[in-house]
Amino acid sequence: MVDLSVKIKNVEFANPVLVASGTFGYGNEVSELVDVNRLGGIVTKSITLHPREGSPPPRMVETPSGLLNSIGLANIGVERYISEMLPYYEDLDTNIIMNIAGSSLKEYITILERVEGTSNYLSGYEINISCPNVEKGGLEFGVDCDLTLALTKELRKRTDKLLIMKLSPNVTDIASIAKAAELGGADAISAINTVVGMSINPQTRKQNIFTGFSGLSGPAIRPVGVANVYIIFDAVDIPIIGIGGITSADDVVEYLLAGATAVQVGTANYREPGISIRIIKQLIEYCEKHNVTTIRELVGAIRDED
Amino acid sequence: MKIEVASISGNKEIAKGIWKMDFDCPNIANNVLGPGQFINIKVDPSWEIPLRRPMSIAGVKGEKITIIYKLFGRGTKILSELRPGQSINILGPLGNIFTTSDKDSFPILVGGGVGIAPILWMHNELNIKSVSHILIIGATTAEEHFLQHNPDKNIFLTTDDGSIGELGTVVPTMESKFKEVSSRSFGIIYACGPTPMLKAIHQITTKYKIYCQMALESYMGCGIGICQSCVIERKNDSPEEDSYGKRFSLVCSDGPVYSADTIIL
Ligand SMILES: Cc1cc2nc3c(=O)[nH]c(=O)nc-3n(C[C@H](O)[C@H](O)[C@H](O)COP(=O)(O)OP(=O)(O)OC[C@H]3O[C@@H](n4cnc5c(N)ncnc54)[C@H](O)[C@@H]3O)c2cc1C
Ligand SMILES: Cc1cc2nc3c(=O)[nH]c(=O)nc-3n(C[C@H](O)[C@H](O)[C@H](O)COP(=O)(O)O)c2cc1C
Repeated sequence: MVDLSVKIKNVEFANPVLVASGTFGYGNEVSELVDVNRLGGIVTKSITLHPREGSPPPRMVETPSGLLNSIGLANIGVERYISEMLPYYEDLDTNIIMNIAGSSLKEYITILERVEGTSNYLSGYEINISCPNVEKGGLEFGVDCDLTLALTKELRKRTDKLLIMKLSPNVTDIASIAKAAELGGADAISAINTVVGMSINPQTRKQNIFTGFSGLSGPAIRPVGVANVYIIFDAVDIPIIGIGGITSADDVVEYLLAGATAVQVGTANYREPGISIRIIKQLIEYCEKHNVTTIRELVGAIRDED
Repeated sequence: MKIEVASISGNKEIAKGIWKMDFDCPNIANNVLGPGQFINIKVDPSWEIPLRRPMSIAGVKGEKITIIYKLFGRGTKILSELRPGQSINILGPLGNIFTTSDKDSFPILVGGGVGIAPILWMHNELNIKSVSHILIIGATTAEEHFLQHNPDKNIFLTTDDGSIGELGTVVPTMESKFKEVSSRSFGIIYACGPTPMLKAIHQITTKYKIYCQMALESYMGCGIGICQSCVIERKNDSPEEDSYGKRFSLVCSDGPVYSADTIIL
């Protein structure tokens, strides 16, 4: 029997395959198609303090082996999340991680406090720091060590649950951002969020996405994700959750070898909502074939010599 | 909503650049509600084409589903190269349906471009139920039409070059037919096609205050409401700054069929 389980802080994951924020909705939409209880966990769509309508269309366009999106954080807001989604999560037998986005330090804190103040079965929080900080002239939290440190510290004070900081690859030095999150008391790092991109239609000479700049995801960014995980693994001692372009068990193993303890599957869910279940099966086969008894053996086990 | 690997039983070109495909997919076919609903097809097993392609259902017979598609780009090219016996991965049925009309409503059905499938299915259904109606289908030239222009049977084709049927877009024909019909009964228009066509129809139906349902297309990431890409703007008299679902609606799960007076095209 292969042991796929992993533990991050005090949270047990039956397997290391989670689904990424924004690519699996709130978890209920796909329950007709996928047995969500077999997933390692679900990271839910980013939640803001107030409901958000999101960006005008077009919001998405295909690119080679991936896609660009600018959804603009369309979401139901924290109050509806509490009243409509939390009761649904009570009946599920998998880890639910709430992803939080804010436009100010205060907003992140208010959302977290509001949810901590209700009884809930959440396993923890993932903090989307690829958000512009209105108090700092729109500077993204995730590109600044001081902002990342301050935000992590404030949130840490307010919860004992699993606290994960989700990093952006659009920075010059991701290692120092990861260290700031660790110093602030984060339990884990998720990496990466989407890579900044743009697509223009040569015929119409218009942007293919309403907002112009948008986020690249899918297999196209897998090497970027793997490299970032490798760098972060070297920089911090807390566990890493690898994200970016995962479509198979081999991709998962690649991330684990680079230093991830668990992974999240994103864009691939749009093609195949049940892909994570298949990946989990393939992971068992990989382990059996390679005499791996526990998946944890693979973490950072890249062979640098010979 | 199910995912099924369907076996293709037919795939042929029925007019220039217009293809018809039939496949067996009992699990999905059994759950289809009616015209307006669509399926989402994984056309390419590799990541060459990352997203599924949405296609309206053009008919259901037992365990078979029919689609009618227009050669458009890479994805539809791959579809056209598939042969009977091969299989494709299908997600569906998705979306909502046109409301059905009763015997005395005398509906006008208008389809064009990639929007023929649901209109044709509706036409067939109304024929089975003996509901009198008018069918108007538009295309650029005669070669793209696969029906016969038959005014006696209330089937009108239009072409931009006049090579068959009425010259021009579907809009003037629709307007004149509406004038004829409206003296006799309350009218309703069902439309599906490219956005410029729907915009023009919208103007006419607003002018004559006639009820119209439209099946829309928009760029879709998933088809099942999780990616939040396929939004269309709702007409909203009291727009709120912070809203979810009030200004934008998801074509895949709120639509694709809307009352024309509730949306902004
Ligand atoms: C609900 C719905 C029902 C549809 N029903 C039909 C149908 O019955 N018959 C038919 O021929 N076509 C239909 N379409 C349009 C069809 O999905 C596109 O023509 C097709 O995806 C083009 O793919 P491609 O790879 O050939 O073109 P490409 O240009 O390579 O496509 C690139 C991307 O653009 C998207 N796209 C391109 N054109 C459209 C369009 N008009 N609407 C939405 N997305 C588009 C594609 O899905 C793809 O993601 C429908 C679209 C929607 C949303
Ligand atoms: C359409 C779309 C919406 C997304 N929404 C969010 C979001 O709300 N919050 C977030 O932290 N990440 C969001 N992401 C980023 C993903 O969670 C993930 O980090 C990224 O897509 C890379 O993984 P992938 O290549 O497997 O998709 C979104 C990605 C996509 C494609």
